[in-house]
Amino acid sequence: MSVLLDHLPELWQGLVVTLQLTVASSIGAAVLGVLVTAMRVSPVGVLRAMGTAYVEAFQNLPLLVLLVLAFFGLPEIGIKASPLVTAIVVISVYEAAYIAEALRSGVNAVGKGQGEAARALGLTFRQSLWHVILPQALRTVVQPLGNIIIALTMNTLLAGAISVVDLTEEAKRINLVEAQPIPIFVGVGLIYALIASGVGFVTGRLERRLVMVR
Amino acid sequence: MKKMVAVVAVSLLGLAACSSTNTSGSPAVPGEAKPAANELLAKAPVADAAAILPGSTMEKIKKRGELIVGGSLDAPLLSQQNPVSGEIEGFDADMGKALAKYIIGEPKVKIVNSASETREALLANGTVDVVFQTYTITPERAEQVAFAGPYYTSGLTIAVKKGTTGIAKPEDLNGKKVIAGANTPAIPAIKKLAPQAEIVTFGSDPECMQALKQDRGVAYVQDETLLIANAQKDPSIQVIGNPFTQDPYGIGLKHGDDQFKTFVNDWLKKTQSTGVWQQAWKNSIGTVVKGEAPAPPQIGSVPGS
Repeated sequence: MSVLLDHLPELWQGLVVTLQLTVASSIGAAVLGVLVTAMRVSPVGVLRAMGTAYVEAFQNLPLLVLLVLAFFGLPEIGIKASPLVTAIVVISVYEAAYIAEALRSGVNAVGKGQGEAARALGLTFRQSLWHVILPQALRTVVQPLGNIIIALTMNTLLAGAISVVDLTEEAKRINLVEAQPIPIFVGVGLIYALIASGVGFVTGRLERRLVMVR
Repeated sequence: MKKMVAVVAVSLLGLAACSSTNTSGSPAVPGEAKPAANELLAKAPVADAAAILPGSTMEKIKKRGELIVGGSLDAPLLSQQNPVSGEIEGFDADMGKALAKYIIGEPKVKIVNSASETREALLANGTVDVVFQTYTITPERAEQVAFAGPYYTSGLTIAVKKGTTGIAKPEDLNGKKVIAGANTPAIPAIKKLAPQAEIVTFGSDPECMQALKQDRGVAYVQDETLLIANAQKDPSIQVIGNPFTQDPYGIGLKHGDDQFKTFVNDWLKKTQSTGVWQQAWKNSIGTVVKGEAPAPPQIGSVPGS
């Protein structure tokens, strides 16, 4: 236990980076996810196909592959970003596929009549999606979205592979000197569990407030 | 299209340090010489029956008929799996096989790919009998595990892209971005000698090399042997000066098993006097470092051993 207390400053630094990755990627993934969902339910065939291709591509590639590919591959074609920025962008792009799938199931859960009613009122596709369909879809998928954010939090540790020094990477560095893997990794594991239960708590509260009884 | 191929190739390279699919002419692994390794094991000594004390760790291993070694599969020259033959080759790997022969009579080993985060835990809970994995002996680690040896002394040095100026010694790294392998002794060494350096770490040696070539850092600090091997394969980088640290590698054993530690140290002395140690060096590190095998380090000469 004392080994963790001895290294609190480093662990804190790592935690800050992990939280940065989590928050920034969650926002990025949410924005992209909504866009992809809109494409998948749009009346334009080409957009629907692109949305489907996006989800299929990113759900079927491991995040680590994408991270290393982006970090070492893109500079070969002249695109070079810092490790932190690369990690945030790649994690956002990857998790957006999952968010889009969750949202689409929410959209499917919205009664067909809702869309027809919106159309009958003279709303455009964008208006009816934004004001009628998505708000209702979101309410039904609060918990699945929470689970995706929790998975995203755990996935941020892969950023260590492209030299981002997050919580896990700090733990490895501390262990390299102290050689006490069990207390160090149990401690760090508990911090991740705390973040995850924080997300779970918030989504749980949100769900109770937003859930619709049908 | 060419660029795409490059992108994919680079990423594969980074992901799988160990999978050097060796189809082209030049060997990816310097010093892959199987006949030599067999010759070495034929020469390796076997312990007297009296040395295998009843109830000891040695007896347990002998009865099992297999030595379980914690090691790497992706460390060139030290412990790397040959993708063609499936054999694990290198200095650490040969020493592990020689120890197995000493105990069992045959060089039968099972390598458990132990990451540096878990070595102590694997030894403590008995998953592995010994660890042969460039395991630098330090006083902190010696509180968790026992070390036989040291059996080899290595040192860190600096590699840069050819034409880089202003870096001649570790202190010159202050204020610069420096690449190091994750979980290597390079990290604490850089922190000590160049506290203002910004350290960027990657999981494997090929990734570090790629990062150096893409200017993710101006220098790469790593074990001298590895860097010399890299510089031989890739003329665009150069190695600077002589090693600036002394890293004594030990054989990790379960903490408190003094009987086994004495036994392993006795074996080490025998490998040195019979020339097995020197031969293992020649077959591996000696293929990139010029000259005769160095004098092996004095057993028990470092704090913690």
